[in-house]
Amino acid sequence: MLILGIETATTQVGCAIGGHEGVLASVHAAKGRRHAEYLVPSIEFACERARVELSEIGVVAVDVGPGLFTGLRVGVATAKSLAFALRVPMIGVSSLDLLAFRVRFSSRLIVTTVDARRGELYYACYRQVPGGVQRVTDHRIGTPDDLASELLASGDEVLLVGEGAQRYPEAFDGLAKVELVDTGDSYPSAEALVELAHARALREQFERSDAIEPIYLRRPDAEINWAVRDGR
Amino acid sequence: MNDHAATGAAVDDSTVVLGIETSCDETAVACVRGGREVLSSVVSSQVDLHARYGGVVPEIASRAHNELIIPVLARAMLEAGLDGEDVDAVAATTGPGLIGALLVGVSAAKALALAWDVPFVSVNHLEAHLYAGFLEDPDLQFPMVVLLVSGGHTLLVHVTDHGRYRLLGQTLDDAAGEAFDKVARFLGLGYPGGPAIDSVAMSGDPEAIRFPRSMIDDGLDLSFSGLKTAVVNHVRANPQVATEDVAASFQQAVVDVLVAKARRAAESTGAVALALGGGVAANSLLREQFLGACAEDGLHAFLPSRELCTDNAAMIASTGWYRLRRDGATPLDCGADPNERLAPSS
Ligand SMILES: [Zn+2]
Repeated sequence: MLILGIETATTQVGCAIGGHEGVLASVHAAKGRRHAEYLVPSIEFACERARVELSEIGVVAVDVGPGLFTGLRVGVATAKSLAFALRVPMIGVSSLDLLAFRVRFSSRLIVTTVDARRGELYYACYRQVPGGVQRVTDHRIGTPDDLASELLASGDEVLLVGEGAQRYPEAFDGLAKVELVDTGDSYPSAEALVELAHARALREQFERSDAIEPIYLRRPDAEINWAVRDGR
Repeated sequence: MNDHAATGAAVDDSTVVLGIETSCDETAVACVRGGREVLSSVVSSQVDLHARYGGVVPEIASRAHNELIIPVLARAMLEAGLDGEDVDAVAATTGPGLIGALLVGVSAAKALALAWDVPFVSVNHLEAHLYAGFLEDPDLQFPMVVLLVSGGHTLLVHVTDHGRYRLLGQTLDDAAGEAFDKVARFLGLGYPGGPAIDSVAMSGDPEAIRFPRSMIDDGLDLSFSGLKTAVVNHVRANPQVATEDVAASFQQAVVDVLVAKARRAAESTGAVALALGGGVAANSLLREQFLGACAEDGLHAFLPSRELCTDNAAMIASTGWYRLRRDGATPLDCGADPNERLAPSS
């Protein structure tokens, strides 16, 4: 079963193709942000590199965030449309889960982060379980200081990863039990997406394309302002 | 790379184009054969989502497009009785419009084109409004003048052939549809303002108040912000005035200006036809006076039905067909441009 993975949750744009043989090809643009321009040509290129016809793809996997709204929508709209046209199932994976997957061999409390802009982070916590890691909190949004206080209060030995926390190293400086690591994998990657989706595909954890939506965690500003004005 | 991109495959009366429109607050998908025959046209309006804000909220629109795009696509294909293999090209609005909203439709269209191995075609939203009139009227005549009036745009365009446009004039401030929205909001008539004022004005006297006809004798550009201010000032000075009369008099002032400018544009360019497009072209008074003016001046009138005046994807698919025939496919590294202009003057 071949899986196409689409990753546009951050400023990066990536896609990868793989299956039980592992990742066959991946394409990655580091200073993307022009998600809509790069993504579809990248998928074409990845197919060529993997010597695979798009029609051979059996599952479309996509990073559903949290992350950059515009990038996520480009990735999710592209992925849903491909799955619709190819008549194949989908797998949506959170960006924070992807980051945790890369450090799944750590026995510490794993905390993954993605930049949320406006001085905030998206983050979630994970624990090692047999065969991988398990998310033990919701996806959250908060300032680096919010996260630092939470980690201090937990008293756990913490492995902190992701470009979100790396933007604010000073917030975690004084925490003796927290190690902010730069694994070289500080962005969610399309390769990890294909690997993680493959594991889920083996367990037939598929989703319908209309059930896949970006994880926003933030309401639109207009809605927030309305609620404030209206006292809701 | 997609073979079609380089060559531009044969485009004829049997060519089916699937069109996608997400530039503002309508998620729309349509299937059109041969540029003219509408096989299906599905429009899902988000108007209820935006009503309480009195205007379109870009982030809310983008989220809704992302949720609606697949269901609307599936319905358009079902209604047309088409499978993926039956679609020969996919067209999408690439601008002008709200960037986040546009990107949803462009991404979906490019993905479909890739998966079905057919050409992708970028369509300019304004050009598509010009084409809406041709969908129902086979008697295409050039040169023509198109008056395009919507919530985002008010323009007069000289069209000498397919793809050959020259901008004759445009609003210097508010779009006509924007003026309707603002005045409707001020009068407490709700959103969207166009239909609200249209219906209230039916029971008002259009001569009750003489609002200014800004720049009516003055070139082909337009201006509506002075009119909006005049309405506000008049109501504040005359709190007892009947809302129906204000709405009717305001609407009359807008329509007088639009029709006068369109006639002058046709006369000065020697056009043989006059076309109306855009959401404001659904306005009853404008439709009536537009037809009257065309009859009086001996101009062929292109007046789309109301469903084709407001945003829809049939006009995108149709324009995509003409564009594919003229220019071939658009490369798949194409993005969206919120300020995309009509093709340069010719
Ligand atoms: Zn429009």
